[in-house]
Amino acid sequence: MSVNWQPKPGDRVFRPRRIKRFHLKRVLGIGGLFSAAYGNVGSSIYYGLGVVAMSALGLTPAVLMISGVFFLFTALTYAEGATMLPEAGGSGAFAFRAFNPWVSFIAGWVLMLDYIVTMSISAFTAANYLGYFIPALKEWPANSLGGVAIVALLALVNIRGVQASSRLNIILVIVDVLTQVSIAVLGVLLIINLPQLIRNVHWGVAPTMNQLLFGISISMIAFTGIETVSNLGSEARHPEKSIPRAVLLVFVTVIALYSLLSMTALSAFPVHQTPDGQWVTDLTQRFLQDPIMGIASAMPVFIRPVLSFWVAILAVTILVIATNAGMLGASRLAYFMGQRHQLPAAVSHISSRARVPVNAIIIFSVIAGMLVATGHIILLADLYAFGAVLAYTAAHASIIALRIKEPNLPRPFKIPLNIRIRGREIPVTAVLGVLATGVTWFIVVYTHAIGRIVGFAWLAIGLLVYYLYRRRVTSPGPRKPL
Amino acid sequence: MVQKAMEFKKVLVPVVGSEADSEAMKLACQLAKKDKGKIWAVSVVAVKRALPLDAEIGPEIQRAEDILDHVEKIAEEEGYETETDVIQAREVGPAIVDEAVERGVDLILMGVKYKRRFGQFSLGSVVPYVLKNAPCAVILYQQ
Repeated sequence: MSVNWQPKPGDRVFRPRRIKRFHLKRVLGIGGLFSAAYGNVGSSIYYGLGVVAMSALGLTPAVLMISGVFFLFTALTYAEGATMLPEAGGSGAFAFRAFNPWVSFIAGWVLMLDYIVTMSISAFTAANYLGYFIPALKEWPANSLGGVAIVALLALVNIRGVQASSRLNIILVIVDVLTQVSIAVLGVLLIINLPQLIRNVHWGVAPTMNQLLFGISISMIAFTGIETVSNLGSEARHPEKSIPRAVLLVFVTVIALYSLLSMTALSAFPVHQTPDGQWVTDLTQRFLQDPIMGIASAMPVFIRPVLSFWVAILAVTILVIATNAGMLGASRLAYFMGQRHQLPAAVSHISSRARVPVNAIIIFSVIAGMLVATGHIILLADLYAFGAVLAYTAAHASIIALRIKEPNLPRPFKIPLNIRIRGREIPVTAVLGVLATGVTWFIVVYTHAIGRIVGFAWLAIGLLVYYLYRRRVTSPGPRKPL
Repeated sequence: MVQKAMEFKKVLVPVVGSEADSEAMKLACQLAKKDKGKIWAVSVVAVKRALPLDAEIGPEIQRAEDILDHVEKIAEEEGYETETDVIQAREVGPAIVDEAVERGVDLILMGVKYKRRFGQFSLGSVVPYVLKNAPCAVILYQQ
């Protein structure tokens, strides 16, 4: 090229980007994935145990184990989906590839509801556990105000861009697991009473069939958080191995701990009949919003003060982390939906200063704050169940559809145990999962009145916004499939 | 006993867009020249956890491209060729160390600007991390 060369006005110089596919630093191993997933799933017991026991009464341990099996099916589906399509959208991403943008939108929108409710229920419960130090926080409206403050503070932290230390998160999760294991071991040694657990069950009376169905449907909230695996799939080293192993490790840990903790709780607080004929357990009469504190308070005197103090601190910490995880999940999902023209650009736009989707964080934090303000943990649990079960149903259906439509799509992890139908391998666990979660969703809709109204209102608003937005978008081109 | 001279066959130069990058790249070219070594210049885009790791943050990527354009030009002026790459990661320090491990480099050469924090000289958080965890020699070039 001549030194004196100057471009003419009509010349255009095209310089290709250095990278066509981003060079990403994948750093998460099994330990990092497990701690991130368990940090979400394992935090649910801090509120899930109370709301499940309120309906399922003496059958709470059995209900949690049944849900645990459904959780395993869902975990396997997410393991295949996350390794196959390592994108932030979770079931929304699976449905986008398997079906069409509308199904994907519904799956993503209800998942968004779940992230928002995760923020609300975790922040609200954290405020209740803080009530150990400040008793006023155990009552409404103080606990709601505390929860709103937590959400607001975390929104500010994420907008300002203060990065949480991933090592600190891992340490906290390890401490949480060890604490729960300790409580479970103490429960086995000192509290669990098998004859009492059997006496707790009064078939057809306590719980009634309606209560049992309600309890099974709401017990799903004790296991939500597995979609974290999808969020982190693109950051995992050797995802074909690390994701399934982390998922199974979470499952085993969760099932073991939830079973023992629920048995400890129902042994310490037996089911009994009140003077007005209602069957209740003191776990939910006194500790509905902080059930693990209830277990700590039932421990022998020599250990009770230390354990209660420790549980209060740990619960608040873990639940604040879970609130933050919900906020990050909502933010990433907003970005994913924005990329696919499922949300207006103004919502998912990345701020050039903050380098995060500020508008999305603010909008969803405000909605979460409004839900916390109700102080109604059962409403929050209803909404959680409504959204989670529908999202899981979409995930199972998508995995099955992709096995049929795209059998040759690379699947670094493939769900074992398949049946052959017309030359296609269909995963048995996904079929059972879609049936189980589908039926459970109908039970949720049938038995949870407030959840039904608010949940469908959420769906209706979302679909309306999406319809109006799609009409305006002239070239709704999604990214080409990989 | 004759000490073997250090050989720099593979040099990694993380760049951030500061004035020190130019001098660091010149030094890297001089060091690599004698051993006919290879130079990689990398610019790390830190992606916050509120976004997926593969998020396309246009302004950040454009900035990284501009920085790498600049250091490529510096290397050309020194009569040396360099390969460049944009990396997206959660944290800059671990990304640099990871890149050094992956490429098996002999030297990480970083330009450091004089900074004060609370009245004290400060290297920030990335440089100490790289110094502590690097699998090879590290040279800091401070202006």
